[in-house]
Amino acid sequence: MTLDRRELLQRALLAGLGASLPGEALAAGLAAAAQPQWALALGDVDGDISPRALTRLHGRLPANLEGTLYRNGPALFRRGGTAVNHWFDGDGLVRAFALRNGRAMLQARFVDTVKRQIEAAAGRIVQPGFGTPIRPGAVLGSADDTNAANTHVIAAGGRLLALWEAGSAHALDPATLATDGPVTFRPDLKGMPFLAHPKVEASGRIWNIGLSGKSAFVWRLSAAGALEAGQLIKLPRASYMHDFTMTQRHLIIVLQPWLHETADMPFSRGMRWRPEQGTRVLVIDKADLTRQRVYELPALFFFHLGDGWEDKDGTIHFDGAFDDSPLFASETASALVEGRYPRTERPLLRLVTLHPNGRAQMQSTEITAEFLRNPVGSPGPRPTFHVGGYRPERPFARSINRWDWQRGRGQSHDFGAQQIVEEFVPAGRWLIGTTINLAARATELHVLDSRHIDAGPVASFRADVALPHSFHGSWMPA
Amino acid sequence: MKSIALLTAALLAAAPAAATNLTVVFTVTDAPTGQIMLSLYDNEAGHDAGGKPVRAAAVPVKDGKAIAQFDGLAPGRYAIKSFHDIDGDGKMGMTPFGMPTEPFAFSNNAQPQGGPAPWSATSFIVDGDSATTSITIR
Repeated sequence: MTLDRRELLQRALLAGLGASLPGEALAAGLAAAAQPQWALALGDVDGDISPRALTRLHGRLPANLEGTLYRNGPALFRRGGTAVNHWFDGDGLVRAFALRNGRAMLQARFVDTVKRQIEAAAGRIVQPGFGTPIRPGAVLGSADDTNAANTHVIAAGGRLLALWEAGSAHALDPATLATDGPVTFRPDLKGMPFLAHPKVEASGRIWNIGLSGKSAFVWRLSAAGALEAGQLIKLPRASYMHDFTMTQRHLIIVLQPWLHETADMPFSRGMRWRPEQGTRVLVIDKADLTRQRVYELPALFFFHLGDGWEDKDGTIHFDGAFDDSPLFASETASALVEGRYPRTERPLLRLVTLHPNGRAQMQSTEITAEFLRNPVGSPGPRPTFHVGGYRPERPFARSINRWDWQRGRGQSHDFGAQQIVEEFVPAGRWLIGTTINLAARATELHVLDSRHIDAGPVASFRADVALPHSFHGSWMPA
Repeated sequence: MKSIALLTAALLAAAPAAATNLTVVFTVTDAPTGQIMLSLYDNEAGHDAGGKPVRAAAVPVKDGKAIAQFDGLAPGRYAIKSFHDIDGDGKMGMTPFGMPTEPFAFSNNAQPQGGPAPWSATSFIVDGDSATTSITIR
């Protein structure tokens, strides 16, 4: 670990003062300062949400759409005059929207993490995170002591896995959402990082990676969620990575130039933006992880990629939501917790093409995009569904979109200025997702026809609570 | 007279202080198998900078307890690092990323802070005829 003198001084000061001033000042100021309307997206949920019916606003649920939309996202940011210092550091709340007999039900439960137990007992935010400093009373024995389990939820092997990116998956009961605990796939893999974006083949086989500096651990799980294989590989650089992608034959690891240079707390303070080093794309043969190729792209910052596909001649394509810098991760997402929006985010939908001759190419739309999703198990060209409509006046998306790279055409439905649009997930022919209605101060559930996004929802429901902005989720057919 | 006084002082200084015994009682709640492996340190530099312990021991876990005994210690400050070798292979289990997979604990039940707890939190006084300290591994 290298620390410069300024960092050492800051650490000493923080330890000595027993405080992180931004967080304390923020919590104290919250009650007093008028919060913008969108601050509902980072509001606190006091406790679990007991099962309740949603009110139907309009339309009718498609007859063949029965199942549960599970979603996960941070929902507790403040405790006893303290607050986390980053959107990504709130406690994970797993929500279940069950569709049955034309009706919609909601229940939600916090993942019972060690972090949540420690902080509930302390009555304060003490554990460090992505952007939250360590505070007195913190316990740091393993990676999972800071695991917020707040990013994604998937189903595998009859259980739910609530995912984070720097520690274990947490197993939950799909019916009650009760936490079973962190998953140890093999005794020597206890607490190993498991990214929040596993990729699933048409066969159901699950691939994932976990990261530590210039090392990646490649996870391969069966469709039933059991460990098939795990292998350590070396990476050419220690990039921050929230997501990766794959084709039928290859894993694709995009190494952006936001580099982990110092072992620091919070995590994001150890990152440096090195645009002059460009972006590298590592393509790995799934059948032999030592067979690798590296492609070069200009400097880019991303959180999310779409699923990749491969042409007959070996040309690889994948899309993603690419921004020009990591400022959203390093600054904006911290300001959001304080009700500030200092900078417009403008992630754009772009397509990367990797040619067999080693040349990499990027094609950009001018469409703002985040939370990309593709139809499950489609190995070839496929539509990308994403949120969009980002505007300077407030954070978060306001539209749901469909884009077809083959036709160069898209569709969009704008929910309007009063709605914050969260990720929408393909469910067969349908798309299902949630919004936060700022005027009604309530979470809503919408179903769209994935082929006619521009027609708007075919059915919409409203909950009697406003849950904060969630990140990712999965549709489980009944 | 002066030389005798000096000689007496020198003899007193050189005389070994009465040795003492330390008993370490582990309460082990995580798993019923294996052994507790522990290292005893008598100085901050050795403890915090990965130096050599003055003593080490491995004691079996039985009925949720493990007891280690160190005899003939010079009175002073000591600290203990320990881990539960659940599988009994004689070493701390590690992930491919080098993170421990077997539970560990420090004297005074001091909490880790992103690394081993420091001497300032783990050290304790050993004096008198005998001393006892307790550590919980969960």
